[in-house]
Amino acid sequence: MSARWGMVIDLDRCTGCQACVVACQAENNIPINTEDIFHQRRAIEWIRVERYWEGEYPNVKARYIPIPCMHCAQAPCESVCPVYATYQTTQGINMQIYNRCIGTRYCAVNCPWHVRFFNYWEPKWPESLKHQLNPHVSVRSRGVMEKCTFCVQRIVRTEQEAQVEGREVEDGEFTTACAQACPTDAIVFGDLDDPDSRVAQMASDTDRGYQLLSGLGTDPAVLYLKKIDPDATDEIDGIGPDGTRD
Amino acid sequence: MRRFMRPLIVGLVLLILLALPVTAVLARSYFLSPTWQPAQEQPIAFPHTTHAQLPQLECEYCHRGVSEDAYAGMPALELCMDCHQAIATDREEIQTLIEHWENNDPVNWERVHQMPDHVHFVHSSHVNYGFDCAECHGDMENEIDYAEQVRDLRMGDCIDCHKEYGAPTDCSVCHY
Repeated sequence: MSARWGMVIDLDRCTGCQACVVACQAENNIPINTEDIFHQRRAIEWIRVERYWEGEYPNVKARYIPIPCMHCAQAPCESVCPVYATYQTTQGINMQIYNRCIGTRYCAVNCPWHVRFFNYWEPKWPESLKHQLNPHVSVRSRGVMEKCTFCVQRIVRTEQEAQVEGREVEDGEFTTACAQACPTDAIVFGDLDDPDSRVAQMASDTDRGYQLLSGLGTDPAVLYLKKIDPDATDEIDGIGPDGTRD
Repeated sequence: MRRFMRPLIVGLVLLILLALPVTAVLARSYFLSPTWQPAQEQPIAFPHTTHAQLPQLECEYCHRGVSEDAYAGMPALELCMDCHQAIATDREEIQTLIEHWENNDPVNWERVHQMPDHVHFVHSSHVNYGFDCAECHGDMENEIDYAEQVRDLRMGDCIDCHKEYGAPTDCSVCHY
């Protein structure tokens, strides 16, 4: 039962295909974002893919970075909630308790990554999509915050299955919806406290790792591996592929 | 004497005014408690004791999901008809059952147990931990004929038990 869930996102593998976003919407009963809602900046995406353009025409490169909740160990969103609706579980997940939330939105204001979302209206689905709602996830009503839960319903389910069978949860037995959907395996989820887990090994065996906005000292549980791109270093340092300065 | 009367009366009135909302809240919590509500009448009166005693059926014979799934589940009509094609077919209730069966019309059983909203209860992990069904559902084998809620099953009740048995009390264990 004691685990510290975390995620490694390898940006060298990410192609920006948005499969993680779609998988997350489907798994977690996230309301459908229409164009209107995007214009109002009220779109709900528990994980989003940000796109940056780098360089100048004709040498333009698109850079993608998927951003879920960082599940900070020292989360800025938690300390501002007046009703303790958001808190750190013993497994390092930053949880939102929907029935406690009164919708002050302080947490969303205090989140540097903008990964907390408010339900401004009662969520609606077209009739044809009602049967695809996930019965293991609450449908959030109007007036509450929601956010990435590291697919806690899958964690709880796997733990319960393991308990029924009288064993420990194995690494890789389950994963989050985004990691499962990722075609290039860029997202890896697992227990950071288990030194043999894939995610812990990826986190320790690399010099590419970094955390988003690590300077804030919130200690995110999501680690990014930066892109391996010889051309990119060229542009930055002015060093050519053969090592000579131009 | 007179000068003590006024503060005394004012004090008493204030006390009564304060006590009213407190009483109202307590009364609400008491009368709205799930165990206080009368049991819903079922479309077919199903006596649990009879089934548990005469053919000595285990709970799991009908509620098949209980040790593997979150939901204990209700049996399909086929399961009832396994026996009732032959047994007690002259009784009124059984004839209603047969009618449902012949019309391909499932019985709409009423939900008996009221849990608070936004909570995920999982039968399998509780049953596999070793709890008897009677722990929450009462003695359906000998005492309770028609299913009713005998346990509060609100959060305080859950938390008390979780603490007693050292189960996790993280919010995310049930609320997600």
